[in-house]
Amino acid sequence: MENVLQVILVGILVGGLYGLVALGFALINGVMRFINIAQGSFIVLGGFICYWIVTLLHIDPYLAIPMVMAAMFIVGIILYRSLFSPLLKYPKAEMRLDKSLLLTFGVVWMLDNLEILFWTSNSRSIITSYGFGTVQVLGAALSYTGLIGLGLAVLAAAVLHIVLTRTYFGKHVRAATEDAGAASLSGVNVQRTYLISTGIAVALAGLAGTVIVTSYSVTPGGGISWLLTAMVVVTLAGPGNMNFMIPAGIILGVIQSASTLFVNPAYQQPIALIIFLLIIMFRPQGLFSKGVKGL
Amino acid sequence: MTNNWKKLSISTVVLIIMIAVPMIIDLGTGIMNQLVTLFIYILLAEGWNLIGGYTGQINLGMAAFFGCSVMVTHFMWVAGIPIIVSILVGSLSTIILAIIIGIPTLRLKGMYFAVGTLALAQALQVIMQNVFNRSIAAPGNFVQAYNLSYRYYLGLAAVVLVLVAVYFIRRSKLGLAMVSIRDDEQAAQVTGVNTFKYKVISLLISAFIAGLAGGLYAYFRLFFYYTSDIFSLTWTFSAIMAVVIGGGGTLLGPVLGSIFLVILGYIFSLTLGQANLIVFGFLFIVVMLFMPQGFMGGADLFRPWLSRWRKKPGPKKSEAAEPANN
Repeated sequence: MENVLQVILVGILVGGLYGLVALGFALINGVMRFINIAQGSFIVLGGFICYWIVTLLHIDPYLAIPMVMAAMFIVGIILYRSLFSPLLKYPKAEMRLDKSLLLTFGVVWMLDNLEILFWTSNSRSIITSYGFGTVQVLGAALSYTGLIGLGLAVLAAAVLHIVLTRTYFGKHVRAATEDAGAASLSGVNVQRTYLISTGIAVALAGLAGTVIVTSYSVTPGGGISWLLTAMVVVTLAGPGNMNFMIPAGIILGVIQSASTLFVNPAYQQPIALIIFLLIIMFRPQGLFSKGVKGL
Repeated sequence: MTNNWKKLSISTVVLIIMIAVPMIIDLGTGIMNQLVTLFIYILLAEGWNLIGGYTGQINLGMAAFFGCSVMVTHFMWVAGIPIIVSILVGSLSTIILAIIIGIPTLRLKGMYFAVGTLALAQALQVIMQNVFNRSIAAPGNFVQAYNLSYRYYLGLAAVVLVLVAVYFIRRSKLGLAMVSIRDDEQAAQVTGVNTFKYKVISLLISAFIAGLAGGLYAYFRLFFYYTSDIFSLTWTFSAIMAVVIGGGGTLLGPVLGSIFLVILGYIFSLTLGQANLIVFGFLFIVVMLFMPQGFMGGADLFRPWLSRWRKKPGPKKSEAAEPANN
């Protein structure tokens, strides 16, 4: 019984992280209809940048978050300027999607090998003085880092929600999402909106990387498995359904965590694949969408 | 008509050279190894070209089909079944994977097919790594009987068969349906093309060709140190890169791209070490951005400058043939 509770609570903590990982991917996918296969590699890159800052400046990893996010924001702007904006010339959305998929697949290749070149292929993690501390909740032990990760994930999702619904920038983003041409006609600077959205999405990858490097570890080439998690979460929540990324992540986290009671913990990805296949077979619009969207 | 005869005669000459040269001259193990690797790349790339280049569905899981065939072929061959039968069974086994992943994902538009295939490759990698946690090796008598020229001719035969098959598929009703799906899926559907059926058929053929590549690899390499390497993302990436660099949706583009990759890999892996893979990624992105049609279409970019040579058609053909007989 204690095991079950422990597994479920750990699943919730991990799931919050899954939701955070999916946020950036979903933002790019929702706003521009681009697929950013490199999101996982950006997460790993963010983790390495955080690792670098912490080892060079000897500060707390959570204090490094603004620096990591700022650095990743710049990476996002470079990504948009160099790769995404040339793709806008293709008229059809499907073609943009395919091209962005392939292009960012090349970015994955470059980033993974650059990371190996810079930081060798060892896995890295940041160990803090409170890293091994735990909180007892009803007999289940939860780590401080995991709780902080969940808190940061919920905070990021809430801030993103407020930005998207309450500010002018959010209005621009939503307008550009609905109809870029019409938004452009009514005076929205679509290019700038896209640019900043990409920056925010990649900065979110930096935040996710920080959380991962403090509570788990990052490995060059480990980005693809984070990416798959993000994609499965987005499929679970329904594409473009930004508000439900964290709940969908928690569902995936609890399922994966509960599966460790029955099968080898190594088989997390096959389980994610099975969940993905079940979702697209029976509810392709996602768990939380009401109507069938034009998929 | 004359053009066709020209193409046919050029390809016959290339084929005769490819068959005759290793018989007459001893090329040495190094070059023969590179040539067999080249055949494996060409098969993989041609398989990806069928689904990605002609049908326009991005498949990120070539490694799954490749690796599945490698394992099946290897174990059947070691169990004493003739190699050709093992390769065919190995290639057919990939069709099971293709059905599992293709039927749910190809019904939907968007990213689902890419996600599904990528997830399949990753999941298989994890499963195989845990099931076969030791290196896999063929017994000693297989090593003693190892003969590189068998691999060479088997690979050559497979490449020729696949190229001929893709040529005829492109000219059949199936090929027409595939290209119509790539160009405008909605219009194809309205015109009465059963897009789902043709996408699945295209995936099945593509998986079979990737399986052939896997079978050839199992015949070529007797020893696999890490099982996860067989399912690694590198195979998918090589296939995609060869097609994109050479030119997707053309018959000879993948061949050209594979030749380019093998030669470049040979040069850069010696001089740059780890960084050689970054060069490939960079090259891939640059070609995607500035030459969307790849080298095959890139000829059009330079055509104004080459206008005085316009009276000689078929520079692509000779370009593809030249590096192949090195």
